[in-house]
Amino acid sequence: MIEVVGLKKHFRAADGSLVRAVDGVSFSVAPGEIVGLLGANGAGKTTTMRLLATLLAPTAGTARIAGYDILTDPIGVRRHLGYLSATTGVPDRLTPREVLEFAGRLHGLDRAAIAERSASLLHTLGLESCASRPCGRLSSGQRQRVSLGRALVHDPPALILDEPTNALDVVGARDLLALLDTLRDAGRTILVSTHRLHEIERRCCRFVVIHAGRVVAQGTQEEFSAEPGGLERAFFAAVEGSAPT
Amino acid sequence: MNAIRGIMAVAGFQIRRLLAPQRIIMALIGAAFPAAVILAVRRVDSGLPVELMVLLIYALVPEAVCMLGLLVTMCPVVADELERGTWQQVTVRPGGRRSLLVGTFLAAVGWTSTVALLSLALALVAAGLSRDGQIASMFVVLVLVSCVGRAALFALPAVIVPKRALVASVAVAFVVEYLAGFLPAVINQVTVSLRLRSLLVQWMGWQRRLPPELELLIDTQPPWVQVTAVLALASVMLFAASVILAWRQFPPAEES
Repeated sequence: MIEVVGLKKHFRAADGSLVRAVDGVSFSVAPGEIVGLLGANGAGKTTTMRLLATLLAPTAGTARIAGYDILTDPIGVRRHLGYLSATTGVPDRLTPREVLEFAGRLHGLDRAAIAERSASLLHTLGLESCASRPCGRLSSGQRQRVSLGRALVHDPPALILDEPTNALDVVGARDLLALLDTLRDAGRTILVSTHRLHEIERRCCRFVVIHAGRVVAQGTQEEFSAEPGGLERAFFAAVEGSAPT
Repeated sequence: MNAIRGIMAVAGFQIRRLLAPQRIIMALIGAAFPAAVILAVRRVDSGLPVELMVLLIYALVPEAVCMLGLLVTMCPVVADELERGTWQQVTVRPGGRRSLLVGTFLAAVGWTSTVALLSLALALVAAGLSRDGQIASMFVVLVLVSCVGRAALFALPAVIVPKRALVASVAVAFVVEYLAGFLPAVINQVTVSLRLRSLLVQWMGWQRRLPPELELLIDTQPPWVQVTAVLALASVMLFAASVILAWRQFPPAEES
């Protein structure tokens, strides 16, 4: 379960002005649900996700991931959360297997658990054939899958994926999204952001549209898809109809 | 147990990074440099006294080689992760930031002390002092103390100004170690260079022969106090760096 309550993140810009990157965002994601966090560049999606991943501290408000509060128990949050950022890099000199082992060891998993989990993830992510090749020699799609595997290595109940299909081609994106379906069916709580609305239109149970740091619309997939023009039209209507800031 | 696993994972990961062919070649060149300088000096004057050779080795190995080695290995503790886009993946792990700091510290100390000890062995051979076990063991301790103390010292600029860590650490090295360290004031008590100098002077038995004005530049406490002081200083600096890193925030714009 992901519960976000009045989350705010304000920065002081270089010129001294106050930037309200996230300004009172509230929404929730239930287990077995994929929720799409939609917004244009600079809308506050990545900052919201980073706040949830405990990479940033909120100015106000809070959030709970799998029952752990990001303010009072960030370690609990990190134990139960898999996070994939849009700018994630993988070490060029390590192989996918080593990357997964490294992440597993950072989570304190023992050798046997790491070996079992790595083998399972390499198989699920279709990385078995390149498991021993340095990541520097992999395609961008393969690297993204390694990155996703790293987020899943500790089998977290909640997942936050910031533009996971960014570097992927059509086939790679389809496979990754199919994997998300599997994870959702296994009861995982998934929050995903993307610019490619068509990819997640039929996949998400609900959508949250964020603009200028505020939630300007949220609803179920049926509600958004019922709009003439589907999700894309509903998204533009929500963004363009919101009060200017 | 989990914390130790995380720290050892980072240390192993950093050592693996350091074992790149270019880094090994650079390290070998750096290790050979003091011996080359000593050979060049001996070619000019082959009858230099042992004391002068010891001073030369001291300046070149526990000071120069250790300092340069640690600048390269300890400073980019956060900057490397930011640059490669792997920062988030370390920090979203429980205890990830602490593991990153302490693991990198262990790797930096392990790598630099290995290079410095190789450099020391070559320098002792070049100086004709390789059979003097007392001098060799004294330098081994000086190298290890230098590495532990300076690696912890460089951890602070690395977490405070990660993007300018190298420049900040060079400034710290000059201002703290070589300026404050040579001031005859209380401030020099918190420098590694004072402790190293004091150990050298005491173990070489130079204390009684020092001119009074130079006595102000060393500490007369016994060697175990000097070593303990460096260990305490290193612990405090690592703890401070760890606290700063735990609170450090990186908004998306700051990473690009």
